[in-house]
Amino acid sequence: MNNTIEKLIKIAGEGAVQFSEDAILPHIGNRNFETPMRPMAIVRPQSGEQVEAIVNYAKENGVPLVPVSSGGPHYSSSSAPSVPGAVIVDLSGMKKIISINRRFCMAVIEPGVTYGQLQKALADEGLTISVPLAPKINKSVIASLLEVQPRLNSVYQWNYIDPLRCMEVTWGDGNRMYTGEAGGGVRDLNKQQAQGKWQINGAGPMMLDFCRLLTGSQGTMGIVTWASVKCEQLPQIHNIHTVESPSIKKLCDFTFEVLRWRFSDELMIMNAAYLSTVLAEDVISKEKIRKQLNDWQAIVGIAGKEMLPELRVKQLESDISDIAKKLGLNLSPQRKEIEGADVLGRITSACVGTHWRESYSEEFAQIFFVTTISKTEFFVNAMNELAKNAGYPVKEIGVYIQPQHAGTSCHCEFLLPYHADNLAQVRELFFKASAIFSEMGAYFARPYGIWAKLQFEKDPLAAKHLKTVKKIFDPKMIMNPRKLSTATVEVAK
Amino acid sequence: MALVREIYKEFEEIVGIGNISEEPVVLETYRCVAAQSSAHYGPYDQRTPTPQAVLLPGSTEEVQKIVLLCNKHGIHFKASTTFWSAQGYIGSDNAIQLDMRRMNKIEVDAKNQLAIIEPYAIAAAIQAETMKHGMTCNIQGAGGSTSTLASTAGWQGPGPSSIFTGTNYDNMLSAEWVLPNGEILRTGSAGSGDGWFCGEGPGPSLRAIVRGVAGTAGDMGVCTKLAIKLSPWPGPTYLPSTGAPPSYKADLYENFKYYTLCFPTWEAWAEAVRMIHENRIIYIGHRQFNMFGCDMKGAMVNILSDPNKQLCDLPDLLEDEEIKKQTESMRIDVQVVIAGMTMLDMDYKEKALDEVLRMVGGWKNEMMLKPDIANWALLYLIRMGRKNLNYVYCGAYEGHFGLSRGNYFYSASLVEEASAIKREWEIKHNHMAAVGGNSSMGGLGGVGGGGGVSWEFFAHFDAHDKESIKGVCEYFNKTNQWMAQKGLGGCMGKLNESSRRPDGYNRSQEEFNKTFASTPQPEVFVYQWMVKDAFNPKKLSGSYYKTLDPKAFVEGSGAASRGVFI
Ligand SMILES: Cc1cc2nc3c(=O)[nH]c(=O)nc-3n(C[C@H](O)[C@H](O)[C@H](O)COP(=O)(O)OP(=O)(O)OC[C@H]3O[C@@H](n4cnc5c(N)ncnc54)[C@H](O)[C@@H]3O)c2cc1C
Repeated sequence: MNNTIEKLIKIAGEGAVQFSEDAILPHIGNRNFETPMRPMAIVRPQSGEQVEAIVNYAKENGVPLVPVSSGGPHYSSSSAPSVPGAVIVDLSGMKKIISINRRFCMAVIEPGVTYGQLQKALADEGLTISVPLAPKINKSVIASLLEVQPRLNSVYQWNYIDPLRCMEVTWGDGNRMYTGEAGGGVRDLNKQQAQGKWQINGAGPMMLDFCRLLTGSQGTMGIVTWASVKCEQLPQIHNIHTVESPSIKKLCDFTFEVLRWRFSDELMIMNAAYLSTVLAEDVISKEKIRKQLNDWQAIVGIAGKEMLPELRVKQLESDISDIAKKLGLNLSPQRKEIEGADVLGRITSACVGTHWRESYSEEFAQIFFVTTISKTEFFVNAMNELAKNAGYPVKEIGVYIQPQHAGTSCHCEFLLPYHADNLAQVRELFFKASAIFSEMGAYFARPYGIWAKLQFEKDPLAAKHLKTVKKIFDPKMIMNPRKLSTATVEVAK
Repeated sequence: MALVREIYKEFEEIVGIGNISEEPVVLETYRCVAAQSSAHYGPYDQRTPTPQAVLLPGSTEEVQKIVLLCNKHGIHFKASTTFWSAQGYIGSDNAIQLDMRRMNKIEVDAKNQLAIIEPYAIAAAIQAETMKHGMTCNIQGAGGSTSTLASTAGWQGPGPSSIFTGTNYDNMLSAEWVLPNGEILRTGSAGSGDGWFCGEGPGPSLRAIVRGVAGTAGDMGVCTKLAIKLSPWPGPTYLPSTGAPPSYKADLYENFKYYTLCFPTWEAWAEAVRMIHENRIIYIGHRQFNMFGCDMKGAMVNILSDPNKQLCDLPDLLEDEEIKKQTESMRIDVQVVIAGMTMLDMDYKEKALDEVLRMVGGWKNEMMLKPDIANWALLYLIRMGRKNLNYVYCGAYEGHFGLSRGNYFYSASLVEEASAIKREWEIKHNHMAAVGGNSSMGGLGGVGGGGGVSWEFFAHFDAHDKESIKGVCEYFNKTNQWMAQKGLGGCMGKLNESSRRPDGYNRSQEEFNKTFASTPQPEVFVYQWMVKDAFNPKKLSGSYYKTLDPKAFVEGSGAASRGVFI
């Protein structure tokens, strides 16, 4: 047992530190063709104080730390180390829902709290929280918010990073503090809440927006040990509709029109390959579902909440239907044929069992970036062309377009399932498409893996300035080193 | 102290001969009453220092050259745009003022609900441009004549519509900055030339260093361009108005309605606001006319909405029994606008609002329903073009208390107590207008979509009368104490006392250290020090960006046990 492990045991307790092969295996990342890297150990702290002690030890001794909050499998490469000798700080055991405030629709949660767990607790209070698309059952709410995973209902995102608000963080330099409104008061959550403060405003405090140094940082800045999140009222009526079309362009126009009037709750576009992947229970049902689907569908959630829910739903259904009609489209209630798969339940709930992304193929690669709704069609055409040239079946490519921030931008995602026998082909396609998209103006706002290189090569100044900021908050470069590598390790040329 | 000739020449070469001045008469106009808070003209009787020169840059390149030259010669600089605020003015003798008025472009990207704006695109102009595309922007509470870029990049930015449109903090997309060391920063997607649609990332967001809960008040360089998120405008391509000046009224369709909602108790008020927040019913929500004072607002609204009435009618109107009754009916009120994106949407919102009132026992004030008044108020709230009225009684006012914490149930429960303190002062002293004590006002959307309710009380005073200034200062010492006692932080009348000295000059680091070492979480100010040190190493642009030297952090009493900065 080396010194680090001994020290970690001292801080977090014997049972909280693991270094066996079994424990380490799930943390060796290889997603999206990255080089796998073994961590040295896994430590499972139980409190902000323990995290602070771990970071301070790591800082003194140059031990790389990789914070992880969700259970496996890990789909983004950020939760695996990029350098040898790293310690995984696994926060998935910190599962407390610290508070739920019905009046202000706010909850404060620890990083191990999952969507399933939180939604259940919120439902008891008549609340819910916006979700990313069908998260895996053990997906940490905080991790998904820090990763800025797109939410399904962008009209509720007044701010791009909504519903994330205040946080407790230990920065890479070992200082623990609160961000947002909570950073202006005493560093004691109980005391703040006893004074009637519910950590509502996530900005600042003061003129530095601490929360935005953590969002998208892939664990390179600090470790978050609680966060406050804005919740919503649980709908009393919640219907799902689809608008189908052979043309993605038409659905983009439809989506824009619906959002620009701030109608709808959930709203997204998927092609048949993607939606059938999300909905199906197995390979056979996937094929069955896909056959019933048009090439493209917009999925439209419509909810009635506390105030006159029936009237609200009627109005939204009628107005959204009018928008569809004007574009020669049709808003229809969830089709009978795919009712077997409950669309609403599937997209908005944590996914029990094997995650849908993994159900139908041995492996999958993902390419996603931020762009505008109006530009997505160009990327889809380009992807199809690239796939054709690479001999990859175009009909297998899943496409998911999720408006963000009330529709000023959107997440554009391509899902490329593959098997061992076409790994090399998909690998090449993945790299080529990523590079070409980058040239076409794809904005890799969440630059995982090779996208970091592509993005920061386009924006060397950001890389340079980020390095300056990183040095302030993580002077010894212990937080997930070499992630976002161009930005945080190598000075841009 | 005049600039050395060679240096003046260098500046002149950058901006051109007509865009720089050191004429005393010009420089004098770039001095401000050194207000404690935003720009409320007092209550101080000192002016900010005289700049050595005023420059009007016309492009990002020019700004960058100016900033580099300032770095070379160690000259302080501060950019300001529409100059409604004290923090936009320089704070040392060795400084130049940048006036950004030549950069005023607006580019609307309707397909992506955004506009790319330059500094001197004022909110009213952006609104007019975007309305042509069926969209509008958030106009922060200081009104349509302020620069949207300034309050997004430089200051706060909630306004009456923020409950629907989001605040300027929420709406900030990509931005272009000339950092204080002369380097360029383009935040988000614009950095890589991918467009202006996203202000976040890549990876952690660099916008964090230039815009927190407030903007950086010109202390972190010059913002030269910015994209903002727009919101729907379900009206015509312009804002039609009727009526004789100055009482213009909006002439909109049935899908716009203005109401003054009234409540029997503050508890009912807060519960209604909660429901309004959570059910997305309103387009604009602002407690507006109470700024004239709870005893005066009925009469004032009658004067302002009628072109034939004047301030001298006030005494008579205050005696009018009907107006008295109406004023009484709206003691606990809020002004709202609902806007139907379609008539069905309007129908829903009307009914939902009625339901809210029914549930809490509220009502719509009758007088404010009269078309002449309602349409006047509608235009007022949409356009926010009447900020002169903030100053109407005595030529100056200062916001104070600032009951703007997220928990508006708590702050609402304290309104009467705060009002009683003000009323007592109004009666006992002669420093400010006696308006009935309660002059609380502010929007419902301190956080986009609702959450915060930002409220200030108005103290109307005479900025040319030393007794009045002094008296209001004393009053603010009292309100400050009360706020602290109630766990509400400091009084907003004192908000910027720590940023600039009463004589208008910048605060020193020593003064900052003293103030911030004992704050509950001094780390906040230490990190600000480090960021400022990294991007503004020569400390060339003022003292609104509050900092705590890491050394002082360790020495500071409460912080020593936690300090690991050095
Ligand atoms: C009557 C009144 C009502 C108010 N109500 C509200 C309110 O409801 N909500 C609210 O948020 N605020 C309010 N305020 C405060 C208000 O935000 C500021 O006073 C106002 O936005 C700043 O004035 P301005 O827009 O003219 O910008 P300026 O005074 O030009 O600048 C404001 C700050 O931004 C900086 N700045 C300006 N241009 C640039 C630039 N190009 N690059 C970098 N920095 C720059 C300046 O240095 C300054 O520090 C109010 C103020 C007044 C006087």
